[in-house]
Amino acid sequence: MFEVRGKGKRLTLQVIVTLMAIPYAFPIVVMVQGSFAGQGWGNYEAVLSRPELPLFFRNSIIIAVTTVALVYACTMAAAFAFSKLHVRGKEIIFWMLLACLTLPGAILLPTLFSTTLKLGFYNTYWAVILPLAALQIPFTVLFARTFVDGIPDDLLDAARIDGLRTRQVFRYVILPMSKPIAATIVVLTFVQAWNEYLFPLVLLQEPSTQTITQLPQFFIGQFSQDQTKVLAAAVITAIPEIVVYLSLQKMFERGLAAGALK
Amino acid sequence: MARIGAAATTDRHTGGGLGGGSRGGGGSRGGGASRAGGGSRGGGGSRGGASRAGGGRAGGRRSYRVQRPGYAWLAPAVLVSIGLLYFCLIDTARTSTLDWDGVSPEPTAVGAGNYVELFQDQIFWRALAHCGLYFVVTFSVQTTLGIAFAAMLHSRVRLAALYKVIIFIPVVLAPAIMAPVFRQIFGAHGQLNWVLEHLGLGALTHPWIADSNTSLLVIMALQVWEFTGLTFILYYGAFSQVDPETLEAARLDGAGNFRSLLHIALPSARGTTIALFMLSIIGALKTFDLPFLVTAGGPNYSTEVMSTFIYRQSITLAKVGYGAAASIVLLVLAVGLSILFSRLARRTEASHV
Repeated sequence: MFEVRGKGKRLTLQVIVTLMAIPYAFPIVVMVQGSFAGQGWGNYEAVLSRPELPLFFRNSIIIAVTTVALVYACTMAAAFAFSKLHVRGKEIIFWMLLACLTLPGAILLPTLFSTTLKLGFYNTYWAVILPLAALQIPFTVLFARTFVDGIPDDLLDAARIDGLRTRQVFRYVILPMSKPIAATIVVLTFVQAWNEYLFPLVLLQEPSTQTITQLPQFFIGQFSQDQTKVLAAAVITAIPEIVVYLSLQKMFERGLAAGALK
Repeated sequence: MARIGAAATTDRHTGGGLGGGSRGGGGSRGGGASRAGGGSRGGGGSRGGASRAGGGRAGGRRSYRVQRPGYAWLAPAVLVSIGLLYFCLIDTARTSTLDWDGVSPEPTAVGAGNYVELFQDQIFWRALAHCGLYFVVTFSVQTTLGIAFAAMLHSRVRLAALYKVIIFIPVVLAPAIMAPVFRQIFGAHGQLNWVLEHLGLGALTHPWIADSNTSLLVIMALQVWEFTGLTFILYYGAFSQVDPETLEAARLDGAGNFRSLLHIALPSARGTTIALFMLSIIGALKTFDLPFLVTAGGPNYSTEVMSTFIYRQSITLAKVGYGAAASIVLLVLAVGLSILFSRLARRTEASHV
């Protein structure tokens, strides 16, 4: 878009970009370097030999995947209804959902804490999955509805004439046509659920249910102040995120950008 | 077909009225008839299964939207999202009038007492002020950096893909996982001070997070580190939409890169800027992970923000009623500010068209 002419100017620009990008790579370099300090690979062996590590990973995967599935199912069904079906007062319901877009998660804490305890949900995956999904659905319904609005009604009418029931129209017309938005919903929700710190912190108290975001704190307790092993644990948890991002780069950037734009 | 289309549009504007009428009328066909039915709003609104089935049979002949009742399709989202969130909000509003530790079976009702106490609480006001400062600083810095990176990487820089990945990776990483690294970097013997010493800036070395004058600065810098990738991607996308011919024309008129950016590229990315503005306000009110994990709201409450305040009151100090009152204030702020600014944004948008 912009033109920079002349070798000297191009070189200057390159140097400026590099200098500005260095701070972004710096913490990651520090993390990797620090994780090898002292015992080198021994730090990784010490962390990997802990039985909690696979547990934390498993819990994060269960929570993130269930949240994504729940959000996706609720969102697509609701977007279909908001956009193409008749529901009395649906605009009121839609605005009630949109009002929740700005809800800070901390507001829910006192109630979630006492209610989950009362209902026996405390320390179960659902105690985290349900509020995560509840906070995510307003976002995803907003994109998905806008997207489904763009699917022409004529197409649905044609499907009806061909004898498809509502459920079949949803399955064979709406779902296949809304694949691009599905990718956005999945990426956005997955990153949100995977990186969530506050809800697991308050609502999950045992290593058997905690998620990987609690891992550094947990290892700080375990390896009392042995920072190198804590950093090794951080690297081990960061690697899957970076690998998944790099392999699905376009999808991630598009999905997270859509989430930011609302 | 045109008539059907009209009926469908009307349905959207009248909310449920039109559909209610047509459902009551059973098999009445044609857009005109159902529009007439719309006048008797809510008149024939029997929700029984029979009328739903009736609508289904007539479905092939009329617009989809008018015909199909969709309560069942909406139910899961409404239950999970509206159900849970509004339940929590109502319960929080109720709890905010109690003096309660979260477990005692008989909390004391204190009316507006918690709110009165809250508004006299210095730490609450500091937390709020920190959120305000946090918004102003992070929004201006990360927007400037995002624009700068987007403009530079649009200028045929070598290895652009690599820079893009480096800037975007922080967006993907959980702050919770990076927190131990951050604490180390900004510690008294951390890497930042090491770098400063080796650059000959030893005079600037500082116990960054242990000093209450710089701790909030560190948290804001980390927020910028995390978020620039997103602003960059958004502006990068917005700048690719700029018409190259307009830019070429500006160049022929003698406009430099900087002026093209300021007068052509940025105005065309207004939508992005407004969205980021809103997002930063809400983000500042929501922020929790970084101040909680890197500085724990301290030292001496210098990094206390609204979310860490609520956490400290409701969980750490078990003053659940007090924490709930703070939650309600935060809710009013978040919803109020987003309504206010989306109104303002719409008005300036209108004046610009």
